[in-house]
Amino acid sequence: MRPSVNRPPTPDARLDREKEPSVLEIINIKLIESGEKERLMELLRERLIECGWKDEMKALCRAFVKKKGRNNVTVDDLVHVIMPKGRASIPDSVKAELLQRIRTFLVSAAV
Amino acid sequence: MSAPNEDTMSSQLSSHFFGDLLDSIIVDVASECHRIARLGLDRNLEEEEEELRLSAQARVRVADPSNSGEANSKYVVDIFGQSHPAIASEIFECMNCGRSIMAGRFAPHLEKCMGKGRKARLKATRSSTAAQNRYSRGSPVSSYSPYSNSTSTSRLSNGTPGVGGEEYSNGTLEEP
Repeated sequence: MRPSVNRPPTPDARLDREKEPSVLEIINIKLIESGEKERLMELLRERLIECGWKDEMKALCRAFVKKKGRNNVTVDDLVHVIMPKGRASIPDSVKAELLQRIRTFLVSAAV
Repeated sequence: MSAPNEDTMSSQLSSHFFGDLLDSIIVDVASECHRIARLGLDRNLEEEEEELRLSAQARVRVADPSNSGEANSKYVVDIFGQSHPAIASEIFECMNCGRSIMAGRFAPHLEKCMGKGRKARLKATRSSTAAQNRYSRGSPVSSYSPYSNSTSTSRLSNGTPGVGGEEYSNGTLEEP
């Protein structure tokens, strides 16, 4: 039986026990468990809709779909279409607001 | 006052998590657009033109008499291959008068039942006839009306649609 090429090797339990969760992972878990990550996502979503960012991204997608043909498009394609422009075109005010919220959370989580 | 190291660490972390959130949202938007694209929910102009052209072609093919094949070329065949009689023959009850009416004769029936017939006029509400009298008496000039006999305001003439049309039969009702 041919082994699946993409499958990562089964993690060895012995080696795993020695790894500590990174700071990033700890904070991520705290974000999720407290519900703050969900709230931040909703806030960001709302701000991005308000400022027209989502519409811009949808327009990019539509243009791509028109070019490639609607049945030939994959989600991956569209992600690659909007990722660069998407990350770059966030309004400063939105970014600042979210960063502030996250920083506040970090302080309160007091890692 | 926090040390500069902490600030850098904090802002790096914040940026990391912000990027995380942003990536999730980008994937969501891409997924949504993908769904709209694949389900054809987007009113894409180019596709519409294509579909309009195809439907125009189909219509030509359907209207083409040589296609019917049957002796009776009056009946057009629909997309399921069924042919329908020219006049709809289902029978149901009129909601105004309660009589049994054939579907294909329903519109003319409604005209008589609700509107322009002599008998229907007697059923008309007081307010509408009052309104009609108001307009006809208040008019300073009995101007040109292509449809009605201008001596009589109580008789609805041919061609004016239903009760509402009576108000205009003398052509005197002005736009505000």
